[in-house]
Amino acid sequence: MKESPNIDEMLNGFIDGELTVRQQTEIQRLIRHDPQVAQRLRQLQRCKMLVGTLPRDEAPDDMLERIKASLERRTLLGDEAGGFSRQKGAKHLLGRRLLAVAAIVGLVAVLGTVIYSIVAPESVSEKSNLYRREPGQIVARPEHILTGDAGRQVAAAAFRGRLELKTADFTAVDAFIRRAIENNGISEYLGSAIQNNRSVYALVCNRDRLNSLLSDMENIWPRFSSATLFVEQDRLGEEIAVTGASPLRIVEVIGQNSYEERIAAAKKIAALNEVNALLPGRQVMAAIDGKKPLSITIPRPVLTSGEKPAGKPSGQAELGEKVQLIIIVAPINRGQ
Amino acid sequence: MRSGTANINIDETVLIEQCRRGDFTAMERLIIRYQNRIYNVILKMCANPDDAEELTQETFVKILEGIENFNGRSSFYTWAFRIAVNLTINHCKRGQKLVTRSIDAEDSEYNEQAKTQLKEFLQDDGSLEPSAVAQNRELCRIIVDSLSKLDDTQRAVIVLRDIEDMSYAQIADVLDIELGTVKSRLSRARSSLKEILEANFQ
Repeated sequence: MKESPNIDEMLNGFIDGELTVRQQTEIQRLIRHDPQVAQRLRQLQRCKMLVGTLPRDEAPDDMLERIKASLERRTLLGDEAGGFSRQKGAKHLLGRRLLAVAAIVGLVAVLGTVIYSIVAPESVSEKSNLYRREPGQIVARPEHILTGDAGRQVAAAAFRGRLELKTADFTAVDAFIRRAIENNGISEYLGSAIQNNRSVYALVCNRDRLNSLLSDMENIWPRFSSATLFVEQDRLGEEIAVTGASPLRIVEVIGQNSYEERIAAAKKIAALNEVNALLPGRQVMAAIDGKKPLSITIPRPVLTSGEKPAGKPSGQAELGEKVQLIIIVAPINRGQ
Repeated sequence: MRSGTANINIDETVLIEQCRRGDFTAMERLIIRYQNRIYNVILKMCANPDDAEELTQETFVKILEGIENFNGRSSFYTWAFRIAVNLTINHCKRGQKLVTRSIDAEDSEYNEQAKTQLKEFLQDDGSLEPSAVAQNRELCRIIVDSLSKLDDTQRAVIVLRDIEDMSYAQIADVLDIELGTVKSRLSRARSSLKEILEANFQ
């Protein structure tokens, strides 16, 4: 008989008692009528019997003890592993805590730097020779301008600044300024000097008197080919340059109540000047100064003092905070 | 009743529960109950007493360590044997430690009388009492060696059926295969074994 897998499976099932009653009947019928199937069945039965009659081996007597010992050993190793894991966990936790502390310290440092950069004045080295007259730029104060007692007194004032004016009508303008200083009764006028063909006026007065002086100077302002206000910072002798300064803008800066506000106002004006310089016809500054209408709206800086230079100071105004302003009038050739 | 289920009595569930709670006495009882049967199956599969001892030990450690995860979807009996058989098959595949002595090469080692007895028995010319086979060590060695020549999975299905006397369903559960696969695999295994045995005297 050819060994059919299906017949073999049925015969094996028959041997193993895994057939249904109907299948068993079928196999029994086959065995009765087919000697080859019967022989195959006997062969498979004998094969099964050979394996099934193999002696049953028993586990060694100490198997139980060995298993227990193995379990105990694994438990101990497991505990050690757990301990190691706990140690690792503790180290990991400590590491994470240190990282967190480092992160916090770093964050505080960064925040401190940011806050300092906002609150503290911008600075460059005092010894720097940088002296750029770009709008809003911080420049080192030229030491040659103020020396001696005047310089020391200026250093004590609330506002410190310098106004550099250039004019082609030097003689007339200089004379006008001198008179205006005298007429405004700036008693603490520290004097003037001619340095390198320039007039230098070192003024110490209250704001009102300075406003009055600037109001007077407004009449001759068109004669200035350039007007640059340098606002000194409290430390390190550094300055912020505001080009294209007008009396109104100068009053605005001086009128600020705090050092930071003055710096902010100076920067704002410098920025506006820059924008204005980029626009045709200088519309922005003219509009801000109220001389021309402007199609675009730029918010005017908020002034804490008067919008316009005040008139003659009252007697009580003499008690106001002292400001220090150095006015430098320099001649230029008409062709410049 | 099959021997596979004969020892599974009512208190086994209680015993398993006690083992889960860490009761060492219950663990000992469970080991004693199954150790010989598991050892015997492993030994018939790997044909190496030392390896069988190690594998039995490892099987019980795994059983007791994993008993908390025993979910009862299968019987504890088939679950325990699944661990044993898987460990043994992996061991055989991994280390090739299975005794694969060539019967051809060692024909001369077999007792001629045993070979003759085997030949007559398989050719349906003689008769052998089961007790006689069990007592004939040489005949047993031929059978074990022949078993070891089978494919691992075929050997597993024959051992589980003919030595451990498991039902087809239990074998399917232990080997995690379909019932039809058990039938076909067992059929092929017995045919192969018959050919291997006959090769001893041809």
